[in-house]
Amino acid sequence: MFGKLTWSAIPLDQPIPMAASVAMILAISGLLTWVTVKGHWLYLWREWITSVDHKRIGVMYCLLALVMLLRGFSDAILMRSQQALAYHSPGYLPPAHYDQIFSAHGTIMIFFVAMPFMIGLMNFVLPLQLGVRDVAFPTFNSVSFWLTASGVLLVNLSLVIGEFAKTGWLLYPPLSELAYSPGVGVDYDLWALQISGVGTLLTGINFVTTILKMRAPGMSYLRMPMFCWTALASSLLIVAAFPILTATLAMLLLDRYLGFHFFTVGHGGNPMMFVNLIWAWGHPEVYILILPAFGVFSEVISTFSGKPLFGYRSMVIATLAICILSFMVWLHHFFTMGAGADVNGFFGVMTMIIAVPTGVKIFNWLFTMWGGRLRFDTPMLWAIGFMITFLIGGMTGVLLAVPPADFVLHNSLFLVAHFHNVVIGGVLFGAFAGYAYWFPKAFGFRLHEGLGKAAFWFWLIGFYVAFMPLYVLGLEGMTRRMQHYDVPAWRPWLLVAAGGAVLILIGIGFQIVQLVVSIRRRDSLRDLTGDPWDGRSLEWSTASPPPTYNFAILPRVEGLDAFWRVKHPLPEQGAPVATAGYAAIEIPRNSPTGFVTAFFAVALGFALIWHIWWLAITGLVGAFATFVVFAWRDRTEDEVSATALARLDAPRRAAIEALAKERQKGSWLTRLGEWLRPSKRLNDGHPGPASKRITVAYGFWIFLLSDFILFSGFYAAYAVLSRSTAGGPGAARLFDLKTVAIETALLLMSSFACGMATLASDARNLLWTQASYVVTGLLGLSFLGLEFSEFARMLAMGAGPDRSAFLSAFFALVGLHGLHVSIGLLWLGTVMAQVWAKGFRPDIQRRGLCFALFWHALDIIWVGIFTNVYLLGTIP
Amino acid sequence: MSDRDQAMDAAPGDQGAGPGAFAKGLRNYLIGMALAAGLTAAAFWVASGTNLVYAPGVPMALAALAVAQMGVHLVFFLHITTGPDNTNNVLALAFGVLVVGIVISGSLWIMYHLNANMGSMAGMMSLQTQR
Repeated sequence: MFGKLTWSAIPLDQPIPMAASVAMILAISGLLTWVTVKGHWLYLWREWITSVDHKRIGVMYCLLALVMLLRGFSDAILMRSQQALAYHSPGYLPPAHYDQIFSAHGTIMIFFVAMPFMIGLMNFVLPLQLGVRDVAFPTFNSVSFWLTASGVLLVNLSLVIGEFAKTGWLLYPPLSELAYSPGVGVDYDLWALQISGVGTLLTGINFVTTILKMRAPGMSYLRMPMFCWTALASSLLIVAAFPILTATLAMLLLDRYLGFHFFTVGHGGNPMMFVNLIWAWGHPEVYILILPAFGVFSEVISTFSGKPLFGYRSMVIATLAICILSFMVWLHHFFTMGAGADVNGFFGVMTMIIAVPTGVKIFNWLFTMWGGRLRFDTPMLWAIGFMITFLIGGMTGVLLAVPPADFVLHNSLFLVAHFHNVVIGGVLFGAFAGYAYWFPKAFGFRLHEGLGKAAFWFWLIGFYVAFMPLYVLGLEGMTRRMQHYDVPAWRPWLLVAAGGAVLILIGIGFQIVQLVVSIRRRDSLRDLTGDPWDGRSLEWSTASPPPTYNFAILPRVEGLDAFWRVKHPLPEQGAPVATAGYAAIEIPRNSPTGFVTAFFAVALGFALIWHIWWLAITGLVGAFATFVVFAWRDRTEDEVSATALARLDAPRRAAIEALAKERQKGSWLTRLGEWLRPSKRLNDGHPGPASKRITVAYGFWIFLLSDFILFSGFYAAYAVLSRSTAGGPGAARLFDLKTVAIETALLLMSSFACGMATLASDARNLLWTQASYVVTGLLGLSFLGLEFSEFARMLAMGAGPDRSAFLSAFFALVGLHGLHVSIGLLWLGTVMAQVWAKGFRPDIQRRGLCFALFWHALDIIWVGIFTNVYLLGTIP
Repeated sequence: MSDRDQAMDAAPGDQGAGPGAFAKGLRNYLIGMALAAGLTAAAFWVASGTNLVYAPGVPMALAALAVAQMGVHLVFFLHITTGPDNTNNVLALAFGVLVVGIVISGSLWIMYHLNANMGSMAGMMSLQTQR
């Protein structure tokens, strides 16, 4: 009934996890009680939990990140204090617990602090900076958030029920294989990452589509604020890299759950392949995190220097160069694995090259500050602290890029110091800069300056005190993840490092106090203009906090730093063109889809971790049903009429005009007041947001590309393992080309039938559309049937996936394609039902188009499979 | 959506609308089907051990046929064109293909050298666990 789950899963015998669990449970139940007593549930449900507003979702992401920062940081304090104590002694954390702590620390800090913080900032800022009303897919945005939250919940659940991975955050096999990690710890990690990974992928697709297809009229690519560019690069990397992570973790899951042999020691498995694949995701991942931070700093430095960003175009080029280059350096994480001089040399040089565009950025920021009117508000302090700190981290990184040096420093505390140097000094400082910078925009009041500055200085100094000793320790030969040690020379440095952690703790304390004090004094910190920092981009032109629709009338953009141009027009620039008035707009309706999906996802994840199969099936069916219900909705948007919009917008315009009167004549507020008046769009260059059909199909196109990349991960594994038959049958003996030829023919004809359905649907012919869909489905079904019978034949021969690494890779790759066909058939069923029930409505036709893209794309993948797996495998 | 918008940008998978779209579309799918079927047949024929293709060149021939067929599917079924309205779609595809290429070729290159230098994994592990 409950699988592996028994009362013994609760660590009653271990005081530290137990105390932490009790504290966590008390805190959560206290919060829930408070919400209940105050009667906030309905408000929370309507305004936050079911909200699909990008601003609300962004705020929730950042809040989640801040809470998890506390969790991750308490792990850090535990490790620092353990190492401070454990000289010639076992310390106070037993090895099994210590191992879980460093694994959880890495997983949480990367996936559940840095990622949600950056995604939260992007969510909040992107549509505002682009001058549009929301992201491309608002409901999916909510789904993304709640799936991330599900991952968080699972990771934290492991504290109370069961255990967490003891393998290190990246779960290297063979240690993470079932034979060496039989507990549920690795499974918690894997399922939490798989579930939140789906959310992250959806976010990436969402943002790419938003930036490329949804921009205010006139905002051509080279008029986008730098943060939008870095967000684009980061989202492209998410789309490209996260499928590799999903593929890699899926292979490990197959090993652990179904006895596959991708990374096992025996049967031809290759643990090195895991290391290779995980870093093919892992290195782009660090750029996914740092690129948005670069964007934040670009905005902050330019704003607080009162100057346009120096070298905007070189910054764009540098950003895109990093985006591509970040995919060509991953081997530097395992120079010591033995790939040899050629390979190491190439990746070493590539790693040094990627420092060049980063250096370009540093110089651009310096030259932006040069000659500017600098204001040292908290965001700017974080930016300057970043530039110095990140420079040091970058240089130690270039040092590590030299393979011989890396052989000395690999796995030492030098490495730990390096990546904390770039991740704290870069990503976290960027997150804090963005938090202080955009907080007034989100809530309408500033954060307390003095406390913010105090937090900054404690963080900055604490960082140096905590991590500079780690460089020394690394050079003295101390490896990472040591539970205890007996080298006297290390002790003083570890004590200093522990002191640094305490300083950071004080910094975090100041941040909490700052938030509380700022909320209590919000009236005196209020920002009425919407532009507290004298900003340059469009988010500062709307009210703080912005209305649901962001902009009553989409702004028209005439150049870079669009808002600055409004405030400081060039002499030859005329007044806004004559009024056209408000037009009706559509606002996406709130939807519980995300929350309900996440509920089932948690149930699914928990059930899979504990092998509670009935619950797993319930979760899967529930999540699917939720999506069907979501897709079946008829009203997805509320219309706000032009008059209602004018009424909603009136107070904001009145406020600005009143403020303008208060100040001297000709202040920028006067010009903002003029600009906010409804005026005709100027259609020069970029025409504004694309149609829904283009947006939806493009988003789906990006998804398909990520799907190709998912397959490429499995295909890479197959290509590497295809000769690892471990004495079992090989390709030539197993594959029957005649069957494959029939399968191919069936799939091709199915694709053709799907094309006929598209034509008939475009011509709005119901009978032909449905008939073609039926033929499509039947042919797809026969393909599946034939494939299953082939699989059954091989299983009967004793050639199942547990026989050898080759067969594992074969079944996973071809089975993944089969899974896609199955999902396509389910989807086809819902499309047919919708066409039947609702006819050729535009939204149904958009779905038909996406299905057609999916179905045709499966052919392309099959071409790759029949050529590389079947034909190449059997040629004489 | 303005006319201008439509002129600049096309949804992936969409083919031109308007009079004659059905006949044009049908022709498109028929050509695509014929080409795809032909290329598939050619690939199976090459793999079945014909003497027409120099034996060591067979993998290369199969790769060429596969790439050609993928192109056929992209053009005739997914309606990806080289027109200016498809720039975004093609760029996205190019990025995807680049990443797919890097992941596969990089993994193969790295793992080939690893296996060459380190010997087979199983062998090494049994050495380590023998002690």
